[in-house]
Amino acid sequence: MSATLSTFSDQLADAVERAARSVVSVHARPRLPSTGVHWRDGVIVTTEATVQRDQDITVTLPDGRRIPAQLAGRDRGTDLAVLRIATGELPAALLGDPAALRPGHLVLALGRSGDGGPRAAFGAVSTTGGKWRCWKGGEIDLWIQSDLTIYPGLGGGPLVSPDARILGINSGGLSRPLAVTIPANTVDRVLDQLLAKGYVARGWLGAAMQPVRYSDAARSRSGISHEGGLIILSVESDAPAAKAGLMVGDVIVAIDGHRVEHPDQVLELLSGDIVGRTLAVELIRGGKQEKVDLLVGERPRSRR
Amino acid sequence: MDVATEWLKESVVEVRQGPSAGSGLTWGFDVVVTNAHVARAGPVDVRLPDGQTRSARVRFADRQRDIAVLDVPRLGLPAVTRRDPADLRPGHALFAIGHPFGVRHAMSSGILHAVGPLPDGYPVPPPLRQLTWVQADLRLAPGHSGGPIADALGRVVGVSTMIVGGLALAVPITAVEALLTARAA
Repeated sequence: MSATLSTFSDQLADAVERAARSVVSVHARPRLPSTGVHWRDGVIVTTEATVQRDQDITVTLPDGRRIPAQLAGRDRGTDLAVLRIATGELPAALLGDPAALRPGHLVLALGRSGDGGPRAAFGAVSTTGGKWRCWKGGEIDLWIQSDLTIYPGLGGGPLVSPDARILGINSGGLSRPLAVTIPANTVDRVLDQLLAKGYVARGWLGAAMQPVRYSDAARSRSGISHEGGLIILSVESDAPAAKAGLMVGDVIVAIDGHRVEHPDQVLELLSGDIVGRTLAVELIRGGKQEKVDLLVGERPRSRR
Repeated sequence: MDVATEWLKESVVEVRQGPSAGSGLTWGFDVVVTNAHVARAGPVDVRLPDGQTRSARVRFADRQRDIAVLDVPRLGLPAVTRRDPADLRPGHALFAIGHPFGVRHAMSSGILHAVGPLPDGYPVPPPLRQLTWVQADLRLAPGHSGGPIADALGRVVGVSTMIVGGLALAVPITAVEALLTARAA
């Protein structure tokens, strides 16, 4: 029994040692450094909340050298930030498939504190699920929650499988107090956009809306087949919704053929590569059905 | 791990002094090591794994390193085996035995987080932060103090001492050896 545990113990220590070759400490806030992962050659990923300054950022490599890093971009919505360092310094992260995780799978969290050696925590996956939207507004492709303790300084570090594969980035602040991991596929998606533009462009309409239901009487009187939709409460001037002629009191019932009854469905339609596309908006105005074209804008940077 | 736990339990005692209660481990013939914050000067009661009680005396205590060495006549327990924590790597399995909240011989398991000083920014006064600690990702509670943290084979690497930000901190067993050697010289 003890020999078996001893073997498993060595396997975990090997996984820490191997995965830690692409784990750095990130000095981008006062005092306690955070952790980052050398995701691709010359590209470090960490959590956005731990990058508290845009200049004078350095990273400590596994061999103890401290080198300068440049902020390539940040996305508050998914709590990810990307830094560039010189290429050829470290091996790139060996990635695994976070979609294969199930509750009960054993996992490690890794960190580096600046003085060289890796720091590790161990636990199990608690719950998994599909796509979700976090309170900061970003879309995360998988829900991965574990019972790992994200100790101070471990935020921005990787979730690691016992075979040393990096499955995602652990965030201390995304869904506190739960330990939540931003999966590798979300990191790849956001990373591509941050490297290209420095930020993630999110679709924007510039209108506030809330769900509304029609009474049976109103439906029979006006011949409306929809049970309800989203009533527009305000329209910002010069916003895409205003340019399309949307008005307070309009009820949006469908966008691009998809019925909408909840604001989350609109956010869902606005996620992904949508800026600059024209959407067909079906609405009810004054008891009559109308259709308008709406050119999706880019959410202003101050609200990202 | 059950074998290692059963075996190590035979070397773990309960240390009581007034309202304070903690754990201790057998170092050698009639000698127990615990935390200085568990056993202060004066008489100390030591409860053995079989429930018998012995009266003990503090031979010396080092407040800075938070280690006390007790002389316990007629102790009659096997000494722990030791392992230098510097030989461990982060990720290695560890377990602690102690008496959290008075629950006798409770076992808690986890892994090695790191060995060394705490990172800058941990909520600990600098003199404590800068000492070398065996830092373990396992759950300790009041009452574990003075008990052992051991590797997968039951070899003791540290003395459970405190909890900071959920992290278990143990005095490296090599630091205890150094204290005892210094006193003997």
